[in-house]
Amino acid sequence: MNELKHIAKKYKGARLFLILTAVLTGAVIIGQAYFFVAIVDRIFIRGQSFEEIVPFLGGLMIVLIARAALTYVSGRVGVRMAARVKADFRRKLLEKYSRNPIQASLQGQSGQKVSVMMDAVDEIDSYFSRYIPQVIQASVIPLMIVVTAFTQHFYTGLLMMITAPFIPIFMAIIGMKTKDKSEEQMEKLAAFSGRFLDTLQGLTTLKLFGRSSQQKEKIRESSIGFRDATMAVLKVAFISSLMMEYISTLGMGLIALELGLRLVVFESVTFFTAFFLLVLAPEFYLSLKELSSAFHTGRGSMGAAKKVTEELNKTEQAVMWGDASLNNGTTPPTVELSGAGFQYGKGGFAVKNIKTEIPSYGQVAIVGRSGAGKTTLLHMMAGLVGPTEGEILVNGRSLYDYKEAEWFDQLSYISQHPYLFSGTFAENIAIGGKADATHAEIEQAAEKAGISNLIQSLEQGYDTPIGEAGRGLSGGEKQRVAIARAFLKRPSVILFDEPTTGLDLQTERILQASIEELAKTSTVITVAHRLHTIRNADKILFLENGKLVAQGTHDELIVSVAEYRSMVSVQQGGAAE
Amino acid sequence: MKDLAHVMKLTVMEKKDIFLSIICGFIAGITSVGLFASSGYLISKAALLPPLHALTVMIALLKMFGLARAFSRYWERYYSHRATFTMLSNIRVSFFEKLEPLAPRIFQKYRSGDLLARIVGDVESLQNFFLRVYYPPIVLVIVFLSTIFFTTFFSSYVALLLLLGLILTGFVVPAWFAYSQRKIHSQVREGRGALSTEVTELLYGFRDLKIYQKLEKKEQQLTQSSDAYIKEQEKEGIQEMFNHSVNTMVSLFISWSVLALGAYLVVDGQLEGLFLAMLVMISLTVFENATPMALVPSHFEDNRRAATRLFSVVSEEPEKEKEPIVELPGQKSLSIEMNDVTFAFPDEIRPALVHVSIHLPAGTKTAIVGPSGSGKSTLLQLILKIRAANEGEIRIDGNSISHVKQVDLWAKSNVVLQENHFFYGTIRENLLLAKDGLTDAEMEAALANVKLEQFSLDDEVFEKGENLSGGEKQRMAIARAMLKGEHLWFFDEPTSSVDALTEQQIYGHLFQQAAEDTLILISHRLTGLEKMDQIIVMENGKVIEFGTFNELMDKKGYFYEMKQIEKSVLM
Repeated sequence: MNELKHIAKKYKGARLFLILTAVLTGAVIIGQAYFFVAIVDRIFIRGQSFEEIVPFLGGLMIVLIARAALTYVSGRVGVRMAARVKADFRRKLLEKYSRNPIQASLQGQSGQKVSVMMDAVDEIDSYFSRYIPQVIQASVIPLMIVVTAFTQHFYTGLLMMITAPFIPIFMAIIGMKTKDKSEEQMEKLAAFSGRFLDTLQGLTTLKLFGRSSQQKEKIRESSIGFRDATMAVLKVAFISSLMMEYISTLGMGLIALELGLRLVVFESVTFFTAFFLLVLAPEFYLSLKELSSAFHTGRGSMGAAKKVTEELNKTEQAVMWGDASLNNGTTPPTVELSGAGFQYGKGGFAVKNIKTEIPSYGQVAIVGRSGAGKTTLLHMMAGLVGPTEGEILVNGRSLYDYKEAEWFDQLSYISQHPYLFSGTFAENIAIGGKADATHAEIEQAAEKAGISNLIQSLEQGYDTPIGEAGRGLSGGEKQRVAIARAFLKRPSVILFDEPTTGLDLQTERILQASIEELAKTSTVITVAHRLHTIRNADKILFLENGKLVAQGTHDELIVSVAEYRSMVSVQQGGAAE
Repeated sequence: MKDLAHVMKLTVMEKKDIFLSIICGFIAGITSVGLFASSGYLISKAALLPPLHALTVMIALLKMFGLARAFSRYWERYYSHRATFTMLSNIRVSFFEKLEPLAPRIFQKYRSGDLLARIVGDVESLQNFFLRVYYPPIVLVIVFLSTIFFTTFFSSYVALLLLLGLILTGFVVPAWFAYSQRKIHSQVREGRGALSTEVTELLYGFRDLKIYQKLEKKEQQLTQSSDAYIKEQEKEGIQEMFNHSVNTMVSLFISWSVLALGAYLVVDGQLEGLFLAMLVMISLTVFENATPMALVPSHFEDNRRAATRLFSVVSEEPEKEKEPIVELPGQKSLSIEMNDVTFAFPDEIRPALVHVSIHLPAGTKTAIVGPSGSGKSTLLQLILKIRAANEGEIRIDGNSISHVKQVDLWAKSNVVLQENHFFYGTIRENLLLAKDGLTDAEMEAALANVKLEQFSLDDEVFEKGENLSGGEKQRMAIARAMLKGEHLWFFDEPTSSVDALTEQQIYGHLFQQAAEDTLILISHRLTGLEKMDQIIVMENGKVIEFGTFNELMDKKGYFYEMKQIEKSVLM
């Protein structure tokens, strides 16, 4: 709630404008009542001619137009304000996310972030487009009506003053009583929808076991049960509005009674005054009721705002780059890790104190069991997550002294599950290279990555659109697209997360041959799963639980490190079964 | 429209509640008019100084109208909400009825998991249908007509004006807006779609975007789509405000005309001055009911879209078996055969299976291996009749699969798919799905077979089995299949998250139970396949090799090479 209030304060101009429109709307409502009543009074009591009331009819017309126009204008300001706030929120989220979402995506939270950026931001809308204008109007207008009533007839004003507080008081009492219950009900609703979803998702399983027809009755039963529970809560809410109706009816009745008596018995008010106040009274209670319903509107947005601000307040280790030039001609840079480490949040998993040197053209394999921190180390070397301890030195200087663009210009990262963007094959390969890659260069890269035959066999060739995230392509084919990206780019440092299983033989061969060829011109750091890769490495970094247990060649490690030996030999033993 | 008609049909089932909502809504509306009419009359009468008792009667009437209005509103809300929730229940059941025959094929058509979440959301959003679209116009028309009827006693011209007002504010203006809003609506949706793609790509493709330095460009695109989307939303919001204001304007204008006309008639002597205030009050009040009509089109449009989306999912006809229908024999193992089968998923660039022919005699054990995306699971789906082949023929026990009922085939199979669902409840409930009348001892034994003896049958299972690990879920699914005890076994990578040692132990029990049965195992590992009668090797939707383990190893072909690679892979 506070976050949104805080933001709303920033829009001073809009708020001022809304207050002004509210005052004008109040004036127009009073004016409308005045003209209606004046015309009836002149015709009915004073017996004036039609010509005499024409100016009043004209005045009324203007007031009516003004009322509609003011409704429009104030609504429009709200909508505009909401649009600006939403754009602002989304921009801030984008700024946040584009700085360092690797951590989040490693923890599988990308889906949640998509929903914050899409839905939560959208849900904030009604706070600004409806709630704020409504609250402002509902606070200004009743006040103006009461003041007018006092000037016309003291007792009517007094009656309004006395009855009005009962509405918010009752709202508060009933609200307090039902809040817990209705929140509990909202949870039940979510749980109930969840169950329905659970049944739908498990439909295949149910059918396989021939159980699906029984579910129909279960759905009906639980639906009806849920309906009855909801109705119990809604009843209380309806009673609250019944009470409000009742109070306003009572208030209006009292006002009418008092006015009627004065008019008939005491003859102390005129018809004009009495009728005028009688027309104003319902407007008074109506706007009070709107105030309470406005609070209801606002509540939904607040949850969403909380989600967004929580997201914005999360601290993530941002990576800051410098502006030194990374110019080493065609030789790949040397990379040194001096006590570098990375920790996921406070108390999270950590890769600690890694010390190693990687020379130009080095062939490094990172080896360890799953969960040992291999991918985290690779991300750190790539400069995708900044080390939380120690340093990464490139050509003897901190990696983060260099310009970001120049470092990434040197780099290719081939992951286990390369992401394919919506676009054509050509576009997806070209994303790896400079912006001006020619079609011939793209084809050449595809050729080298062994994907050109597949592409050419398709009707639209390189212009075939690849669906969302490469749907319809096998894992091996996606790998080959990623390799084609690397061939187009010709990087001097390659980071390669070797696939564990599931590739076809062709891709296996292509991967091996491609890495070998790319290695001629670059340093290759591989999270290795294949013995072949490990044996060929100049240096193996053996990780356990985030620590660098040993480094050296395969032959060295097999002799000197027991854990390494057992890991490799278990595999060999398993294979020999 | 057809889909909304379906929703309408389901709504109309709640006759009593609908009737009561309308009646109460009518009473609330008409007493409201009565309340203001009588207050207008009262004040005019008072101005003429009538006897006090006449005034007392009027005031009593006023009170009565006020109370009646408050209470009938209450009951209107009560009945209309109850009707709505009952309707939602009907929709859920009806939707489930339609979805059931189409599963699981339908789930593959919409691979993204949010389809089902969207279905649930759409059902919930249909609650506005009765509450805001269906019955308010009915109430509005009845209240208006009654009011107009009442007005005719005083002035038929004023009555005509009110009728005109009803037509304008209740129907013409909303319809006109609905028409003009359609385009904006679809632009908003497009905008949302575009933004959603950008956001997804940014977050899921972040690493590649960052390294290939396309992040900035993506950010720009995202900002642009966000701004465009917000712009469309803004347009929509402003348009809505405009509609609302215009409708208010029209209704106020009608009241103005009533006043002007009334005044003229009074001056002209055709109407008693006493009634002028009353008529004006009537007009001002009755249109209060009409202004929400401006929102009906947009609710209508939302509901229409929700209904269309909902029922378009289940619009397909379930596949019909060809006559004569053959019932598969129970209690024995069956042969399976595929002859020259080709199959392509709709909207995919290549066929998933190409001229596949396999032959599995009754009682044999077959493993299917191959890289990811080679068509192994698709092959299983075709045999299980989840999908139908485009070309070629599949025979089970010698019968063409088109004569076999899916339900019959499944009833005689034990199936473990890659994704197995576990429901909210206990382990016992989840295992009991397998067969009626299972004893605790049998289920405990099944758990022991899959090395899950640490679990108790009373242990809780969360939705989708969220409190179980991937490996535990797979083992639980195998236990469930073993409890079913039929004689056809289908396994799709059932142990991909189970370690090799446990896998061997589970397979030991499995092959013991299935000794006489026909079994197909899609395997991601190439270990432990020595005992299989046949290994089928697939790549790119084709069968490229088949034979026993030893035959394939001796041949030194694809399987042999895959085996060599597997040996060299460190997990």
